[in-house]
Amino acid sequence: MIVCVAVVGHQNNPLYIQSFTDADDALKLHHIVHCSLDVIEERVNNPKKSGTTLNEAFLGLLYPTVNYKVYGYLTNTKVKFILVTTDLDVRDTDVRSFFRKFHAAYVDAVSNPFHVPGKKITSRTFAQTVSNIVGSYGLN
Amino acid sequence: MIGVGKMKQYSNVLDKPLSKGKQEVSLTAFAFLFSELVQYNQTQVDNIAELERRLEDAGYAVGSRVLELLCNREKGNRRETRLLGILSFVHSTVWKVLFGKVADSLEKGTEHEDEYMISEKELLVNRFISIPKDMGTFNCGAFVAGIVKGVLDNAGFPAVVTAHFVPIEGQQRPRTTILIKFADEVLKREARLSQ
Repeated sequence: MIVCVAVVGHQNNPLYIQSFTDADDALKLHHIVHCSLDVIEERVNNPKKSGTTLNEAFLGLLYPTVNYKVYGYLTNTKVKFILVTTDLDVRDTDVRSFFRKFHAAYVDAVSNPFHVPGKKITSRTFAQTVSNIVGSYGLN
Repeated sequence: MIGVGKMKQYSNVLDKPLSKGKQEVSLTAFAFLFSELVQYNQTQVDNIAELERRLEDAGYAVGSRVLELLCNREKGNRRETRLLGILSFVHSTVWKVLFGKVADSLEKGTEHEDEYMISEKELLVNRFISIPKDMGTFNCGAFVAGIVKGVLDNAGFPAVVTAHFVPIEGQQRPRTTILIKFADEVLKREARLSQ
């Protein structure tokens, strides 16, 4: 199941982070998200080494831990989307599809003229949409 | 997109085609709104440079959102990392979505390596605007320059973008050129990627 999703700004400032677990492991998930930023940096700066296409938005599996798999997505505006899941046999196509919907929801949120780019996303509609997307994947 | 033509009128709602067709905004409505934007900003400033800066700021906010929207909708989830790629994206995709057509021309500056120009015979925002003599070189295209700057900055290609009038022989109205001057870091990165 999806246990955490996060949106991180181009200066690595957290714009939105949401956990989807009952347990009190939010801090651990925040730490996992934080660690994934270094991996994204490495992927983007050294595309030859990492084997990712230079201009591919979907960064694929960033790193697996014992209990989690962390996936990344980088938009044109250098905003990073991070997904943490407990499913260890997730298909790439499902994750791509999730990120596409997540990106669309993010675009809707930042298109609000009262949203200040680079500031935290406080939109309740966005939070609800993200919850719906997570729920619709049956991974939650 | 700001529409250039009139939308077909249907007497009966049942005659309307199901497909949405082009999503266009009335040009007259846009011209009125833009006129109000310019007039409002005029009351807030003391000089032309400040007025252009305020219009550019308004455009910047549009540009940053347009980039995010179009990359999600049009680009097949690919990030633009090359200079010519982002310029052609602005010249074609962005222009088409905003103004209903591709920009008239995209040229490289002859004097400086870091300069590029997008030229328009008649920029849409300037269509119903004539500048008073006392306002000198003021160009409402600063709004479009702001949009371009918003797209480029947020895509990781920081640049100084300005709008200029270029007189054409035998024509009453000058053409508008959006001059893009990229930061050094962009050119260095481009050289590195070209290797």
